[in-house]
Amino acid sequence: MDYKAPVEAYTGVVREVTIGKGNKSLRIGGENTLPLHFFDQGSNPNPVKFALEVLDMKPEDWPEHAVEPFRDVISDPVSWAKKCQSFGVDAVSLFLMSTDPAVKDGPADKAAELARKVAEAINVPLIVYGSGDEKKDVEVLSKVAEVCDGMNLLIGPVLKENYEAVGRAILDHGHTAIAQSPLDINLLKELNVKLSKIFPPDRIVIDPLSSALGYGMEYSFSLIERVKQIGVITKDSMTMMPIIANLGVECWKTKQAKENKKQGLLWEGMTALSLLLAGANIIVLRHPETLKLIKETIGAR
Amino acid sequence: MVYFGPQTNKSEVLDMIIIGENIHVIAQAVSTAMRERNAKVIQDLTKAQTEAGADYIDLNVGPMKKDTEETMQWLVSTVQGATDLQLSIDTLNPVAMEAGLKACQKRPLLNSASGKTTSKEQMLPLAKKYNCNVVISVMTDKGMPPDVESKVDSIMGTVEYANELGIPNEDIWVDPILLPISTAGEGQRFTVLNLEFIKILGDVLPGVKSTVGLSNTSNGVPDQLRPLLNRTYLVMLGRNGLYSAIADPLDKELMSLIKGEIPKIIELIHKTMDKEDIDLSALSQKQVEYVKTARVLMGETLYSDAWLES
Repeated sequence: MDYKAPVEAYTGVVREVTIGKGNKSLRIGGENTLPLHFFDQGSNPNPVKFALEVLDMKPEDWPEHAVEPFRDVISDPVSWAKKCQSFGVDAVSLFLMSTDPAVKDGPADKAAELARKVAEAINVPLIVYGSGDEKKDVEVLSKVAEVCDGMNLLIGPVLKENYEAVGRAILDHGHTAIAQSPLDINLLKELNVKLSKIFPPDRIVIDPLSSALGYGMEYSFSLIERVKQIGVITKDSMTMMPIIANLGVECWKTKQAKENKKQGLLWEGMTALSLLLAGANIIVLRHPETLKLIKETIGAR
Repeated sequence: MVYFGPQTNKSEVLDMIIIGENIHVIAQAVSTAMRERNAKVIQDLTKAQTEAGADYIDLNVGPMKKDTEETMQWLVSTVQGATDLQLSIDTLNPVAMEAGLKACQKRPLLNSASGKTTSKEQMLPLAKKYNCNVVISVMTDKGMPPDVESKVDSIMGTVEYANELGIPNEDIWVDPILLPISTAGEGQRFTVLNLEFIKILGDVLPGVKSTVGLSNTSNGVPDQLRPLLNRTYLVMLGRNGLYSAIADPLDKELMSLIKGEIPKIIELIHKTMDKEDIDLSALSQKQVEYVKTARVLMGETLYSDAWLES
């Protein structure tokens, strides 16, 4: 008797989220199957996308080999963002680090103005991350949303502590939200449930927090994997959102990445590869050579 | 073993034995009353639980390192002065346990022993010596068994040991140990597998009884939502054959449920367990909440503190 391999057909579909506007737009998510399950029914219309980081201030703790590709533009976020495009990114991710009260406590309007300039200067969508300070971000991210009205930026992090104010501003000005929770699927779902009451769920992207290889990556892996399983298999509406893995910043904090370039690229590359296998839909990297490495790896499949 | 399938009615939960949990050393009022020998506080709690319909009064005294024997004698006789119910002596300290058991006028419940070596050597012989019922948990020297199979293996080993000491299955109340559902990732898995464990227990160890520390399930959950989880889980465990629970008899709705006074809710929980289609729009808000809670407890939907809101 011939053996026929069983084929699973799932009922859940990850929401397809569009970021950016017009010819600058990008779609992420939309899959109705699990990552790498080429043998099952279903498809992934939008394979994993990549962004590179840009900081709103000259980085202070980056090793020489991370600064090197951007040395000529490192003090100018707009030129830096333009340069990212030459490396073939799908999006640029601007970190408003200087607004952090523990860094420079920079003013919200200045940060928002910079976000607008960067968004206008590039021909790919812009992701904007605040400092993560739950109070300051209310001010900063609301201002970014307002100044960049209608540009449909991907803005976060929206946290359990500030989702009402930040979510409202992102919604009112036509943007998309990054909902971030601390490596816990129950808290992740809770935030999505609460945010969805005031915000359309098809404009939410999940940031589950992405830890680096050797520093808890397996937690991020399991969490992303589980979010996908619960969304795609059990059709839990509140986990059927695409996932952003913001991992460059975590990888380049490690001693190993700082030590030497080859190690740094591999550290970031292995983390990125693992989390995309888990099901991440968009990945934020720091080093353009990691991006090249990952694209070659995927292309070789 | 009786199979409680979809066709059975509410009657199986009517027999649930409730061990009143309110005399608990973690409660500030109780620990102060024990230290100051304030009989009124203890007797009021005893009477309230007795009147509410509890079957046993649990005396959770903690490790009780000071004045152990004297405090236990005082506590047991104080409680016995206010109730005719049987007592459950709840401590891991074997000296406190023996003092408590010795002071009981009615046949007590030793709460609890486990498969840990120290417990097998110190607690189980006390159960034999005082001819009492004994709670035995699935815990062993290796810790908490992570799945149904290893829970079964652990408890079978410990029960066999107890049998050899002369304790019959009928006197053994197996405790699968409930963990908080809100524990990231793992909590909900344990909630589901404990339902399964209770369901098969009678098959693997005929004659044994069972008990759970019910409120553990909702530990870490926002206070106002805890009773709903406790009540729903008790009905679900009851349907799977649970014999008794350490629970809060002062929760009126919980007691109404187990007395069969709200059959509609029990029926809805059973239907949810059977994955029947339920038209939520035809239900009251309270009924919807029970259905949603049952779905979370059986692992049908992913838990979050906002489980009633989605």
